[in-house]
Amino acid sequence: MHLAISLNIAAVKGQAVLDFGEIKTFVRAAEAAGIDMVVISDSAEGLSSGPFEATTLLASLATVTDKIGLVASASTVAHQPYNLARRFASLDIISHGRAGWHATMAQGPREAANFSRPEGFSDTDFRRRSEEYIGIVQGLWQGWDADALLFDKTGGRFHDPEKMHLLDHKGEFFSVRGPLNVARSPQDAPVVVLSGLTEADFDIAARTADVILLESGSAESAKTRFDDLRRRATAAGRDPDAVKVLTNISLAPDDEPAASMDRLETQLRAKSCDGFNIQLPAQHSALDDFADRVLPALRQRGLVREGYRGATLRSHLGLAGGGDQ
Amino acid sequence: MTAQMKLGAFLWATGHHIAAWRHPKAHVMAGIDIDHYIQLARTAEAAKFDMIFCEDAAGLREANVGIASQTSRSIGFEPISLLSALAVRTSHIGLVSTASTSYNEPYGLSRTFLSLDHLSGGRAGWNLVTSASPIEAANFGSTGLKPHADRYERAREFAEVVTGLWHGKAPGHHGQSFSVRDPLDLPRSPQGAPVMVQAGASDVGRDLAARTADVVFTAAQTFEEAKAFYDDLKERMAAYGREPDDIKIMPGVSPVVAETEAEAREKHEELQELIPDDVGVALLSSYLSISDLWRYPIDGPLPELPESEGMKSRQALVVEQSRRDGLSIRQLARHFAGARGHWRIVGTAAQVADELQARFEGGAADGFNVMPSYFPGELDAFATLVVPELQRRGLFRREYEGRTLRDHLGLKRPA
Repeated sequence: MHLAISLNIAAVKGQAVLDFGEIKTFVRAAEAAGIDMVVISDSAEGLSSGPFEATTLLASLATVTDKIGLVASASTVAHQPYNLARRFASLDIISHGRAGWHATMAQGPREAANFSRPEGFSDTDFRRRSEEYIGIVQGLWQGWDADALLFDKTGGRFHDPEKMHLLDHKGEFFSVRGPLNVARSPQDAPVVVLSGLTEADFDIAARTADVILLESGSAESAKTRFDDLRRRATAAGRDPDAVKVLTNISLAPDDEPAASMDRLETQLRAKSCDGFNIQLPAQHSALDDFADRVLPALRQRGLVREGYRGATLRSHLGLAGGGDQ
Repeated sequence: MTAQMKLGAFLWATGHHIAAWRHPKAHVMAGIDIDHYIQLARTAEAAKFDMIFCEDAAGLREANVGIASQTSRSIGFEPISLLSALAVRTSHIGLVSTASTSYNEPYGLSRTFLSLDHLSGGRAGWNLVTSASPIEAANFGSTGLKPHADRYERAREFAEVVTGLWHGKAPGHHGQSFSVRDPLDLPRSPQGAPVMVQAGASDVGRDLAARTADVVFTAAQTFEEAKAFYDDLKERMAAYGREPDDIKIMPGVSPVVAETEAEAREKHEELQELIPDDVGVALLSSYLSISDLWRYPIDGPLPELPESEGMKSRQALVVEQSRRDGLSIRQLARHFAGARGHWRIVGTAAQVADELQARFEGGAADGFNVMPSYFPGELDAFATLVVPELQRRGLFRREYEGRTLRDHLGLKRPA
């Protein structure tokens, strides 16, 4: 089973904000417990008061952790695809292959207004644009072969020109020549995590995502969606196990951990997902409670791994191209 | 106490010399090794540099793949993620990155730099550039380069929105290039606002700097050029109601330093000989914004050049130097390949300190952006040889007095 923790550092209205030291301590506790990855997002519906943007925070966390996967949310409206691909390729090298990009298929209400697109996008345009965008980013991540860098001082050959590839993308919304000016990922490519899906987005997710985060529902409906996504992945020519589906869950602070664990086990037994994405508010009490009560309960039930076998996020998730499998 | 100079450590992968990566003591895997950068940042911090500085381009540096593959410049870290990683592994040194106004949006860029500022406790700075490279343009769906004046008009609007957002204003901005509705959803900067750096040296670039910059990087070969630029920029500031001290002018300097002058010269020669001719000529071509320099005899003079839409001021500098010193294309290529048109000093710590002191005390610089030839060796050499010499002369700090980049630079904190 795979376990992610989502931390929205923006959702702290009226609360004392978390400083870097507190976030670091929490992520290290999650790492000690063998959690696959922490997904950091930084935007809220209303104005928030968190001091950090997700990709910069991820870079800082990468230098003070060793194993845990680090995923940052970044909007397809706020960044040009070339810039976003560079940022995450760089984060992946900084973290030695532990980085992921979380994109949402839902439009953020504030973004268009602040990123010079006051007219916004229609839902269908946004969907087509998102798929094109994700394809560009993933294509740019493949621009350098894994053995492209030669470092041959005496021969004067830094890289092999045959092993660098242009993207030459010309699409409906973007045209991007490439290649990226960042080296190949230590885990082949950063992990792509998608959320905010409606059923109309399922084919795009099945074609492009490494991890899909789905809202929780009844065990039966979760099972139906899980099977549906796996079928669509197969239809797109992918191994269905190359897409991991995690169900979002929120643990209420006054829930008994045992009752929460029962819920998780029931869903897993029904084979309705590959694991869970536990959503935590960025509040001291919630983080403390999770570390003190929930993590020990998860360990006791054997729901988290004993330790990390590999070093990259892809290897934690059991995805191909892990770099050290 | 005598006035003290400001020092930046300009970090660039294997080194500023185009052939640096081939040097036996250069760390060839710098562009994929975060620990190397952490070490460089700590070296610069131990030497009490004001800041480290990273350049940036959103694309390859060189269109000719054969040429590019003989340099180490096609891959490296994206600088904002790099500096964010360094922010929590250092405690005092300023962290300045380049980012282009051509392919970013002001809301996102101001938010990202403000986050870096919070992660570092008030040590972030943004070097504003506009992009002139067609290689970059092709990564952003652009079909042709915008004329110089258009790029700067966009930059001016961009800088205005960013400054407003950093100062906590609700912009409600609907301009020619950008529209931004909300204030930033991050708290104010620990240093009031991140430091604003600029490097454009053209007429319109100087005006933008005089109006908005806290620090200006520049390239100047001779004392006279440096002094003329310095006086001109400081004079322009009055029109915007600013004091001369509100901007620190820091020319780039590429020193090659050793215990003796002979050793320094030997070290320099060793580097120059590692430059392949086609690489040197290609680099010179890109600085001159012309593509066919290789057609001309390499031992002949520079041909007459049309004025380009690219880097106007840099081109003028190269042409002037070639005419003044009667240099052939090969000589000019080697000369510029080494320091990229910046000022180079080869000598002992005392000789380097003499030159820096003369420009500092002569009113041609408030400090210097140090561009080591190769890493880590030449940064180490500057830190262990030149910095102590400057300290002995009372020209550079022995300890940090403040915690923020504005503190180090002696800049006012914005209200």
